[in-house]
Amino acid sequence: MRRKLLFTLIATVFVAVAALGGNLIAGNKPSLGLDLQGGASVTLEPKGDYDTVALDVAVEIIRARVDSIGVAEPEIIRQGSTVVINLPGVKDQQRALDIVGRTGEVLLRPVLQSGFKNTDATTTTIAGQTTLPAATSSTVAGATTTIAGATTSQPASSGGLGSTRGPMSAATTTTPTTSPATTAPSTTTAVVDAGATTTTVAIAVSPSVPQQDISMTNEPTKQAVLEGRDGRVYFAGPSQADGQVFANDAAAQINNGSWVVAVGLRDGASGEDKWNALAAQCFQKAATCPTGQIAIVLDGVVISAPVVQTANFNGSVQISGDFKEAEAKDLAKILEFGAVPVRFDSPTAQTVSATLGKDSLNAALISGLVGVLLVLLFLFFYYRRLAIVVVGGLAISGMLQWSAISWLSQRNGLALSLSGITGIIVSIGVTVDSYVVFFEKLKDDVLGGKTLKNSASRSFDAAWRTIVAADTVSLIGAVVLWFLTVGSVRGFAFFLGLSTFCDIIVAYFFTRPTVILMARSKWMNGANMFGVHARRKDEGNEVSAGSSTEGVVAR
Amino acid sequence: MSGRWGRLYNGETTIDFVGRRWWGFIASGIVVLATLFSLLFQGLNLGIDFEGGVAWEAPLKKELTIDSATKILEDNNIETRSAKIQTLGGGSSERIRIQADDQSAEVRSAVQKSLSEKAKVDVAEVSVSSVSSSWGRSITTKAIRALLVFFLLVSLYIAWRFEWKMAIAAILAMVHDVVVSVGVYSLLGFEVTPATVIAFLTILGFSLYDTIVVFDKVHDNTGRFSASRVSYEDIVNVSMNQVLMRSLNTSLAAILPVLSLLVLGAGVFGAVALQEFALALFVGLLTGAYSSIFIATPLLSILKSREPKFRSLIGQRSLKGDMAILMQTGSSVSRKQSARSGVDNAGTKVNPIDAVTAVLSHPPRPRKKTRR
Repeated sequence: MRRKLLFTLIATVFVAVAALGGNLIAGNKPSLGLDLQGGASVTLEPKGDYDTVALDVAVEIIRARVDSIGVAEPEIIRQGSTVVINLPGVKDQQRALDIVGRTGEVLLRPVLQSGFKNTDATTTTIAGQTTLPAATSSTVAGATTTIAGATTSQPASSGGLGSTRGPMSAATTTTPTTSPATTAPSTTTAVVDAGATTTTVAIAVSPSVPQQDISMTNEPTKQAVLEGRDGRVYFAGPSQADGQVFANDAAAQINNGSWVVAVGLRDGASGEDKWNALAAQCFQKAATCPTGQIAIVLDGVVISAPVVQTANFNGSVQISGDFKEAEAKDLAKILEFGAVPVRFDSPTAQTVSATLGKDSLNAALISGLVGVLLVLLFLFFYYRRLAIVVVGGLAISGMLQWSAISWLSQRNGLALSLSGITGIIVSIGVTVDSYVVFFEKLKDDVLGGKTLKNSASRSFDAAWRTIVAADTVSLIGAVVLWFLTVGSVRGFAFFLGLSTFCDIIVAYFFTRPTVILMARSKWMNGANMFGVHARRKDEGNEVSAGSSTEGVVAR
Repeated sequence: MSGRWGRLYNGETTIDFVGRRWWGFIASGIVVLATLFSLLFQGLNLGIDFEGGVAWEAPLKKELTIDSATKILEDNNIETRSAKIQTLGGGSSERIRIQADDQSAEVRSAVQKSLSEKAKVDVAEVSVSSVSSSWGRSITTKAIRALLVFFLLVSLYIAWRFEWKMAIAAILAMVHDVVVSVGVYSLLGFEVTPATVIAFLTILGFSLYDTIVVFDKVHDNTGRFSASRVSYEDIVNVSMNQVLMRSLNTSLAAILPVLSLLVLGAGVFGAVALQEFALALFVGLLTGAYSSIFIATPLLSILKSREPKFRSLIGQRSLKGDMAILMQTGSSVSRKQSARSGVDNAGTKVNPIDAVTAVLSHPPRPRKKTRR
């Protein structure tokens, strides 16, 4: 028992210290938000015709996309007719452009060819090989050079991509909603036979081609090799239309028991006509679209590549396939968001300074520190030696939180704003609660006549139930807010969840063993170790179990 | 350690919370009414992040610095507390961007003129434009929707973990917190910023946490007293007194850092941004601590004491000495001891035998030997 507790304690401390040390060595530091450190500011200037309503819609769409990238709290405002996107913690302007650029539009490209990335052990040794099905290799002829230049498969990420083999939602079909005859038996026709991937055309690529080349080839006017969300690789022709052919009304629906996505087409030359021109080529399997598939590309990733079932669409498009509910909804969202109603000039980026600056940060840190010291002072006054546990627990929790925040700053662009920092400081006060619950319970038991040694473990069990109940509620709050909100509320949810999680971990793996071990030691068994025994001397024996005399109030 | 503080310290207070529940209800009722009126006639003072405003952009040259820009705003009677002044760099030239609450056309052009004079450039080089809110409508709608989902899930959880009447009481207390916090902001005209909203969310979590700890105790005690005829009011009173010290300690521990932020950070160091946040937290923490004691638990006692099991006992409350004995015998205190002592803290004599039989309808079970 004792050995186990000791082991838990040492392991916890070790993990916390290792996490902190690892992050310090790796040089991960929490990055600060827009208000404290500034960042990059990207300005998008609209071009062509637009109105304010359309611009507002565009702002909301951009917000949704930027938000989906990480946990940072970007600030998106409309300033006059321009849209300003402030990204916290981004020092490099090019990176800022990349982030906003990744929020780009939806392109529709005819698919020339598609296949799987080869994950065979034999071929992965040759860095940068992409395999395409031999069955359709004839069409590659003219385009080989483009593939060669482009398919420098990223050595780092290619492993994860090829993991899904087999025809998934890639083989989707497109049918016009107006002709129910073709919709009914919408059996998914796999365009590329999955078996064909065994005979592969390996295209050796010089490894010196920089990795960025892949995203460069998403140039709308050129052919491109694009990765699909389903793990396939698509070789697609120049974009012939973009997301603006669709109206903002895409919806996932159930049709004949399976999920489909229905979306309306805009009227006229920029909508229906454009789409039909592309659809006609694919339906006839013309040289520009030999596979009959149209790739829906978002930010260089093929989201879906449905097969066109008719040459002429009248007002709306229905995409059916082997969709799961989530996939259908996702696609609907992309088609809806893809229809940004405003076109923007190529964005410009600038660095932007902090609005509050170092003074506020220092003020927050110093006064926060003083506040925490006051709390500790109070706890030492109240719980005497037991308060040492709180100090230790806060240290462990602090190390864990610092590690998590620095790591995520590096990985997910997390940025701490002033309200985040003050939130953390305040959460210390709240975290102390779990100790108070435990110690009060302990005090109760000792008052009831038990020895500290006996009651430590049992009191923890009782307190643990309370702590878990209360923390569960906090966690529910964090998860709900995280998934359902955007912007700074989401940032708040993250910190709430993190601190609650740390609270649970520390309570069980640090506080419990420490207090139980302390309760056994001689150091805690003297009188007055956490204020309880004082009463026996001061006020008589009215409730202390050890007394054998009749209760007389000494007052 | 004697007298009132000693009893508080040792968790032996015998305050009749339930008997005084109307105090809390009336006080809260007044505040809620005031809030509704204030919202109706005065509304909330929303900051630039919610309402948008005006932005000037000028080249960062000559005497035009962040400080002098602040000065220009002050000269034009513009609230600088919520203004955002940033420098933009990295392009061909450095620029300064100033955002403030919406201003009249005269003020807009006056500031534009002053800025151009400071920068020694043509007036046309200083741009003036309206800024939309950075906190878009979608953020608000989503946050409210998320809050509703959260309320629903939390009620389900509390109903499952404890019981549904506790869920109702807890949620009502939370709604109370939101209303009162909003009311304070509306009545005093404090500016609402995103930080305020975040602070209120922090508070909601804290208040709920507090309420759950109290309810957990009530839940425990309900089980402990289930064999005897004890009114629900008594159970609530006993529980409240038992967790009172915890509630006070926790609230103190939470308020101390906030006070430090408010007094030291905002007062001594003059960090205005901290003031907003700390103020919201301070208001909310007080409301949260108050509501779990004076709203949530009394509500629960009203809801529960109508149950068949407790109905016949409505209004029966053991006060002072009786409550102390109830607390002691109900808790893990050795029952024989307290019965023999038969004296409560206030010094009034009570019949020990009666007190014990009131709680114990069957003899105590011999304690099992636990394996160690």
